[in-house]
Amino acid sequence: MAERTLTLSIGPQHPGAGHFRLIVVLDGDIVVDVKPDPGYVHRGAEKMAEYRTYIQNIPHLERPVIIDSSGILFPYVLASEELLDLPPPPRAQYIRIIMAELNRIISHLYWLGIYGVFVGHTTMFLWPVGDRELFIDLAQMIAGARVTFAFFVPGGVRNDIPDDFPDKAIKVCNYYEKRLKEYEKIFFYNPLVLKRTQGVGILKREDAIELGATGPNLRGSGVKSDVRKDEPYSSYDDIDFEIPVYKDGDCWSRCMVRLGELYQSMNIIKQAIKKMPSGPVKNAKRGVLKGIEGEAFARTESARGTMAYYIISDGKPYPYRLKLSVPSFRCLSLMKHLLVNQHVADIPAIYWGLDYWPVEADK
Amino acid sequence: MSLTTERERALLDKIKAKFEDVIKEKYVKPKRIRIDVSPQKIFEVASFLKALGFNQVASVAGTDYPSSNEMEVVYHIVAIDNELRDIVFALGERVSRDNPIVPSLTDVWKSASYHEQETYEMLGIKFEGHPRLERLLLPEDWADIPPLRKEFKLPGRE
Amino acid sequence: MGVITTFEQFLVRILQILFWLLLLIPMILTPIILLILPYFDISSLYPLVPFKERVDYNQFLKFLMDPTLVFPYLGDWMKTDFFKVVIFPGFTFAALFSGVIITWWERKFLSKVHNRYGPVYAGKFGGILQSIADLFKLLFKEIIIPERVDKLFFFMAPMGTLAISGALLALIPLGPSTYIARSNLSLLLIFAVLGFYPIVVLLASWASANKFSFIGGLRSLHQLVSYEIPLLLSVLGIVIMAGSLDLIRIVEAQVSLWFLIPQFLGAIVFIIATLAELERIPFDLPEADTEIVAGWLTEYSGMLFAIIQLAAYLKFYALSALFTVLFLGGWHGPIFLPPEAWTIIKVFLVMSFLMLIRGSMPRIRIDQLIRIGWVWLITIALINLFIALFIYSMGVKF
Repeated sequence: MAERTLTLSIGPQHPGAGHFRLIVVLDGDIVVDVKPDPGYVHRGAEKMAEYRTYIQNIPHLERPVIIDSSGILFPYVLASEELLDLPPPPRAQYIRIIMAELNRIISHLYWLGIYGVFVGHTTMFLWPVGDRELFIDLAQMIAGARVTFAFFVPGGVRNDIPDDFPDKAIKVCNYYEKRLKEYEKIFFYNPLVLKRTQGVGILKREDAIELGATGPNLRGSGVKSDVRKDEPYSSYDDIDFEIPVYKDGDCWSRCMVRLGELYQSMNIIKQAIKKMPSGPVKNAKRGVLKGIEGEAFARTESARGTMAYYIISDGKPYPYRLKLSVPSFRCLSLMKHLLVNQHVADIPAIYWGLDYWPVEADK
Repeated sequence: MSLTTERERALLDKIKAKFEDVIKEKYVKPKRIRIDVSPQKIFEVASFLKALGFNQVASVAGTDYPSSNEMEVVYHIVAIDNELRDIVFALGERVSRDNPIVPSLTDVWKSASYHEQETYEMLGIKFEGHPRLERLLLPEDWADIPPLRKEFKLPGRE
Repeated sequence: MGVITTFEQFLVRILQILFWLLLLIPMILTPIILLILPYFDISSLYPLVPFKERVDYNQFLKFLMDPTLVFPYLGDWMKTDFFKVVIFPGFTFAALFSGVIITWWERKFLSKVHNRYGPVYAGKFGGILQSIADLFKLLFKEIIIPERVDKLFFFMAPMGTLAISGALLALIPLGPSTYIARSNLSLLLIFAVLGFYPIVVLLASWASANKFSFIGGLRSLHQLVSYEIPLLLSVLGIVIMAGSLDLIRIVEAQVSLWFLIPQFLGAIVFIIATLAELERIPFDLPEADTEIVAGWLTEYSGMLFAIIQLAAYLKFYALSALFTVLFLGGWHGPIFLPPEAWTIIKVFLVMSFLMLIRGSMPRIRIDQLIRIGWVWLITIALINLFIALFIYSMGVKF
């Protein structure tokens, strides 16, 4: 058997891998063994965070996932607010929701673009990447930056939204909801895409829970689990939205979950703009922020799944220990489960179907 | 958002009834429970927690406490798709820094596997029974002490 | 001469250098030629450049002195085999058309599908010189030869692909008298030439000594071999209806009705199998970048890569022209344009259609590809064959 197999390194220098290596053992066209090898972009974010104050950590901690920078900061501000005793005003909570959902759309569109090119669909690479600019522009109106917003701070958000933002946001969302119908026609219901993704890389419901899948990967396996509903943080309990759930657990289900989330995120943005109260956007407390002794654990739903922070404070301005639990890291255990006994051509479809972001996983 | 802790209390009482003398309650906050267990008993407690419905590990955090010459491992366990879904259960254990060996919980929760491997690599805590205690994130030629230990100092930051 | 900042300036500089070379070469070479010519039998050149009347030594010297004297002879020269093979409708025309115009048009056309601009900088109009800019870039790139490579076959394979694609051009007529070679079996010859392609690809992939190249080569082998059969079967109906394997005879048979209409199923099979033969999306598995880097092209760089690309585009042109000839009535069209122009317009439209497919489809998987080829395409091609037989038995003559 051993001489029949071929060992292939997909990554770290491979157009289908990112900063990540997948050691694949092939027998003919079939994958017989997989070993994920992360760590090419490990920067020690947790260690570095112990040397920075709670405010200095804000731009530092969003570096692992710059395409979802609000998503990775959200639980950090929730946990540090608990330690610093800085409750955010209600308006800030709604602005946070808008920003987090904008970022979810930006991240999902990036994912969709790469997924398109990973299954060989060139048009689905350029459409989402082009339309993503609309949402980046919206986020830029609020935060002033294009990807690394550093917008959430403990105790609120950095600044209020501009006056012309609500109209423009609603206009963009209305346009984009129509545009997504075209996406569905050319990509999601394209017969060849269905052939490539349906029944490929099936993750059963029990396995998904057991192996630690989160976010869209879990919901693609028919589990209705979303931190926004399970443990409503910020003001998500005020907003009426649905969680898209697909039962099959294959690549197509995971795609459709993310497509559904694009619709839902725009719905949430529109509602949050309508329901937003007026008032300050930042807690008025000033001075050197020192954490109260203790620990805090906060989790939110980022674009890739449950993002969680565990911060231990010993009363100093720096965290004593900051543990960042990212959704991409949990995909590692899914990879072997999903890729074994699949075709070589399905490796990119399954791998990127999990929306594994190597930089996030390496921290 | 309820700020009462009745449900959490009831849950903790259920665990206490079974493991009265083993567990040490650390705090009960809304939606957050933390107990500490000795490494010898953690496997049974973990199995019981899984039977209660906490079916996924969200994070395994190791912390170094040089002041008390101890290391701490905290499993944050969540429940997916059942009535405990809003509660995060923290299961902690402490072990001496000199010989940090704790039992691996991968047999209880498969989802703990990569988190434990990372903790092993970053703090040097050995998880007994873990199938794959090897390099994960650090460079293959890493020869220094595990980087998340407190005596590992970042150059230029002290 | 200032610093070169735009591509136009670069081209101007190249042309200037060429001008000086052209000026200097006669000044140096003419005396040498004058010295050599008396000892040189000029009649040995006649097969290459046969003029109407015999050109003697003095005439030849006059040509060298005043090139405009050649003009009256050009018409004769254009009828020679040399001109047909090298200039039109042979290699130069095909390479310029497919390598410059079609590559530019593909990028521009696909960019419209993709909602972007495409090339804009090189050239005054829509980056039309982009292909030439790329050619210059690839010319000056280093050809990297990995250590373990089997050098003979590594260098031979690009030349082989180019030779195969060039050989296809010889058999395809652009007009009633615009062709390089005519044979009673030209359709069969085209398939015979195409049959060499997988061998060259396999040689290239094996010689590259790279796992990704190897997988790409094997994929290419499977794909090309299994799609040659439906390709051949799909045109058998036409052979029956036209009663000939001669492509010129086939075009003449379409004077009243294009074969696209009675042989619609055959046309569909032919288009799908053509896409597979060309290794274009949705059948670009041998070069699937996200799976196997660049397939069998992984180790090729610089000019070797450019040659393979040129060969691929020549093949693209040749197979589109074949589709035009077989199904779209070749050079037939309203009278106001010359027949060659009609062929080229139709070829251009066919190529644009294939580009549109590239913009709207994902890549297919190898097992699905083989299944489609062996199960569906062969079945449809056989049904198509029976339709042709039925029409033939009804006594309809084309």
